[in-house]
Amino acid sequence: MGAAAAGQAKAAGWAAGRRGRIRWIIPLFLLPAVAYTLVFRVAPIGASFYLSLTDYTMLSRPNWVGLENYRRVLFEYDLFWQAFANTVQFALEVLPLNIALALGLALLVNRAIRGIAAFRAIYYLPSVMSVIAASMVWLWLYNTRVGLLNSVLAAVGLPAVNWLGNPGTALHSLVLMRVWKGAGVNMVIYLAGLQGIPVELYEAATIDGAGAFQRFRRITWPLLWPVTFYIIVMGLISTFQTFGEIYAMTQGGPLESTTTVGYLIYQAAFQYFEMGAASAISFVLFVVIFTLSVLQLKAYRSPAEA
Amino acid sequence: MQRHKKATALRTCAVVLVLMTLMVVAAGASLAAERTVRVWFAGTPEPFMRAVNDVLKPAFETKHPGVRLQVDFIPWGELSPKLATAFAGGVAPDLFMHGQAATASFAAAGQVAPLDDWFASFSGAADFGATLNAGSYLGKRYMLPVFGSGQLLVYRADFFREAGLDPQAPPSTWDELMAAARKLARHEGARLIREGIDLPVRGISAQQVWSPFLWQNGGELLSSDGTAAAFNTPAGAEALRFYVSLATDAAIGTVDEAQPVGNLPPLAAGTVAMSFLPLEVINDIANYAPDVYPHIRVAAPLRRQTQAAWFSFAGMFVSRQSKEPELAREFLAFLAGEEPLEAIVSALGGLPPRQSLSRASFVTKNPAAVAFIQGMAHARFNPNHPQWVKTRDILVRYIEQAAFGRLAPDQALAQAEREVNRILR
Repeated sequence: MGAAAAGQAKAAGWAAGRRGRIRWIIPLFLLPAVAYTLVFRVAPIGASFYLSLTDYTMLSRPNWVGLENYRRVLFEYDLFWQAFANTVQFALEVLPLNIALALGLALLVNRAIRGIAAFRAIYYLPSVMSVIAASMVWLWLYNTRVGLLNSVLAAVGLPAVNWLGNPGTALHSLVLMRVWKGAGVNMVIYLAGLQGIPVELYEAATIDGAGAFQRFRRITWPLLWPVTFYIIVMGLISTFQTFGEIYAMTQGGPLESTTTVGYLIYQAAFQYFEMGAASAISFVLFVVIFTLSVLQLKAYRSPAEA
Repeated sequence: MQRHKKATALRTCAVVLVLMTLMVVAAGASLAAERTVRVWFAGTPEPFMRAVNDVLKPAFETKHPGVRLQVDFIPWGELSPKLATAFAGGVAPDLFMHGQAATASFAAAGQVAPLDDWFASFSGAADFGATLNAGSYLGKRYMLPVFGSGQLLVYRADFFREAGLDPQAPPSTWDELMAAARKLARHEGARLIREGIDLPVRGISAQQVWSPFLWQNGGELLSSDGTAAAFNTPAGAEALRFYVSLATDAAIGTVDEAQPVGNLPPLAAGTVAMSFLPLEVINDIANYAPDVYPHIRVAAPLRRQTQAAWFSFAGMFVSRQSKEPELAREFLAFLAGEEPLEAIVSALGGLPPRQSLSRASFVTKNPAAVAFIQGMAHARFNPNHPQWVKTRDILVRYIEQAAFGRLAPDQALAQAEREVNRILR
């Protein structure tokens, strides 16, 4: 009995010692991640917020100006509101098209046929291309005189379109390229979602006489809703931050029809060196994205739950 | 036996380690004895980089034993952001190359050193003539001009002959330009095959090409003290009305800028008969379209009230952060020599800043270069003002609005004036 008690006490002591060791090992393991987050995430955000309250130009010391940059951006800087409207339009055009194309491709490649992996890879390929490389390819496709798109139009007797030089078509042309480039990633996400839907549900529905469209409407779409929601949230964030293709293809023109908020931040920061104004625009954009994301999360309700 | 082998291996390792340490220490000592001048050159054309790396760098280092020239080539588009970041981080190069338009902002921020004293002691200064003033701000000179560029009317002699125009008598006035552009445009049915003239209505070149029309009409971009816009005058409005009519006249072309075909500028591709181009592009045509090049001609600057053309120089600035200011000036003196400048300017295909170099063979053998040097007699430069880049971008935005018919030219200039004045004051 005594020996057993001693054994238990020894085991308890060992366990307590282990817990004690674990207690200080846990923070040790967390330290690199916490340090990384603090140094490379939190500190730059804090520094950027501080800069948004100064007149920093990179060539001289920052002077405190309070909320002056925010006032200028929101009430004096006409281009900000145009850029904001362009960004919203870009997001509203890209997201539905991207979702439709990604879902369509996912449904197409969600089958066990020979060589399907190759098709999946081909559809995914644009997503791994750098945005600048993709932009160079699309600049050629959109070339007014020798571009593929206008050659097709000419072959069917239609006049050439100045895709990127016309304020009426430039933003839509960028949307097309973005949809092409982004659909692959979302296709893979949808594919994972599709493969998580139990086959029995489809079998039962088929036995009950449901057609392909009804199976999609009643089973696939509701069960994929969490995936779609994720794609919408992430897509909204990334489209609101669009910069690369604008920089490479249109530089915000013509007539500022493709100037997005992301491009405006670059312009303010690295063309005019107005780091204060650029930081202020960044924080306004952050507030917009954050608010939209919170609203989306609040409004989230799966059709399956409805 | 085994222990003996281990001991030998350990001894060998120790010897290698000691030798390596000695080598590192020796290399460090040698590096410490070596002084370094860091220079950022702007632009990345292969011939230019070769000229700097294979000619300039060895020549300078031979003349200055114990000095290492550390050269970086920065693409023009990335130059300003990289420089600003380097200055902010306290790691700016000793010398850097930039366009004259950058002078005012760097000088106003106190980041570049005035070079007046150095110019006063430099024996070749007189040979630079007025180009020495290209990098001036508030009466002080900050830039050693290295090469120049300009925008002149360039045209195709074969298209002139085809349209019944004399290629030896290019347009010299606004009316002649309009008439020639109409004659040179070629349509097949309703389809435009060749534009009479291609005028930029977007980007930096829109300002560079429109401004001479303003100057030719007696107008100015900014007031002499730089505190207000000066382009919104009857002369300015007339210049913009003419420019827009030339850019949008359906009988001449379209408002859309003609696009290059591969490496070929529209003038070389034959989709445009006249264009305002810099000398560098003409040199590209010589390289990429040698069959077209013999038809390329350069006209003298147009005249209305006066003759004027836009020119600009790029040059070398000395950073105030330089830890080797004396060596930086040594490099400046070396670079300002005829041979280094000739190597750079001929590689870039630009205009030489030294008058003596206008007699160099790379200029005299190139008729286009000769025409540009003659055109420089009517050169006008953009104002050197800390807010110039913003001013220019506002002006370009409204030139574009007028060209696309969003605003009448008079309204466009009035709105541009309001915005420019807001930032200048």
